[in-house]
Amino acid sequence: MNIDELIEALARDVTPVSRHAVGRRLAGGIVAGGVGTLVLIVWLLGFNPQLHLAVRHYSFWMKWGYTASLGVCAIVATARLARPDSGKLGWLWVMAIPVMSLVAIGVFEMSRVPPAQWLAMWLGQSWRVCSSLVFLLSIPIFGGLLWSFRRLAPSRLRAAGATAGLAAGAWGATLYCLHCPEVSAIFVLTWYTLGIGLAALVGAVVGPRLLRW
Amino acid sequence: MRASEVQLKTWMIGGLDGDPACHTLLLRALVPVLQAFYRRRMQDRPDDIDDLVQETLIAVHTRRATYDRERLFSGWLFAIARYKMIDHFRRGGRTCPIEGLDDILVAEGFEDACSAQIDVDRLLGGLPAKQAAAIRATRLDGLSTSEAAARAKMGESDVKVSVHRGLKALAARIKGET
Repeated sequence: MNIDELIEALARDVTPVSRHAVGRRLAGGIVAGGVGTLVLIVWLLGFNPQLHLAVRHYSFWMKWGYTASLGVCAIVATARLARPDSGKLGWLWVMAIPVMSLVAIGVFEMSRVPPAQWLAMWLGQSWRVCSSLVFLLSIPIFGGLLWSFRRLAPSRLRAAGATAGLAAGAWGATLYCLHCPEVSAIFVLTWYTLGIGLAALVGAVVGPRLLRW
Repeated sequence: MRASEVQLKTWMIGGLDGDPACHTLLLRALVPVLQAFYRRRMQDRPDDIDDLVQETLIAVHTRRATYDRERLFSGWLFAIARYKMIDHFRRGGRTCPIEGLDDILVAEGFEDACSAQIDVDRLLGGLPAKQAAAIRATRLDGLSTSEAAARAKMGESDVKVSVHRGLKALAARIKGET
C-alpha cells in the first residue's frame, strides 16, 4: 500500500475524540477490573462480618487512606505514562507521605502497648495470606488496565507496567479492606505494602512485553 | 515547505473534533516531517524508513486520543516516532551499526594486552632480578639460551638454572594465589 492510499484509508475513519479520552479509558479498565476483584472477594473470602463496626474504628479509615492514596498517585502516574510524551515522574516521591504517616501511626500504636504484644500486632491473624491475597486481588484490576492500554500509547513500557501494577495492587488492597479484619498499622505497613509492591514488581517485569503497540 | 507547529496542532485538533479534512491534511503534512526524522537517524536503510513512516502514521491515527491539546504537538509526534524506531530495532533483532567499531575493538584488545602485561610484570617483580631477567629474555623476548646468556653476561647453564628455578617459584606462587 502506498502512502497516499494509506492516508486516504485512515482519514475515512475520523470519529471525534473527547479531551478526557485517556482518563475515561483508564477509569473504564479500573472499574471493570475492580468489579472482578469484588466478585473474587465475595466468592473466595466474604466481607468482614464485623464491617459495620469496623467502619466506626479509625483503623479501617487508616487502611483505606493508605491504600487509596497510593492508588491515586499510581493512577495519576499511569495516566501520564499512557501518553508517549510522558514527562517527569519525580513527584511520585509524594507517596512517601502516606508511608511515613503509617510509620508514625505504627510507632504511636506500639508505644501504647507492652512490647510483649508487638509481635502479635505485627503478625495479626492473617500475615501468612495477606500479601498473597492482595496480590491475587490486584490481578483483575491489572487485567482491566491492560485492556485500557490497548488504545493508549506508552513509550516507557517498564515504568508504565510498574505504575499500572502499583495501581492494581493499591486498589486491590483497598477492596481487600472490606474483608480484612486486621487493625494495626504495622501489620498494614508490612503485609499490605508487600503485596502492593509485588504487584508493582510483576507489572514492571511484564510491562515491556504486554504493553507493546 | 514544512508545516509549522501551530499549523500541525490546528489540524490535529480539527481531526480530534471529528473533521476528516483536517485529519487528511495533517497526515499528508506529517509524511515529509517523519521522512526527515527517520532519514537523519537511519541513513543506510531507505526501505525501513518507508515502513516506519507508514507505521508512525497509523500510530498517530489509532492513538490520537493520547494527544493532550494543552501540550506541544511535535513533542507528542516525535515521542511516537522515537518509540516506533526503537520498537522496530528491537523487533528486527538487528544490531545497529556502531560507528568506529574497529577502533573500539582495537582499544579493547589493547586493554586486555595491557592487563596481561601488568600481570606478567607483577609476577616477575616478585622474583629475584636474575631469574626475572632470564625468564623475560628466553620466554617473553624469544631469545635462545646462548643469546640470553650473552645479553646478561652470564653462563648458559646459569641462565637455564635461573629460568628453571624462576618458573618453579612462579608456579608455586600462582598455585598459592588461586
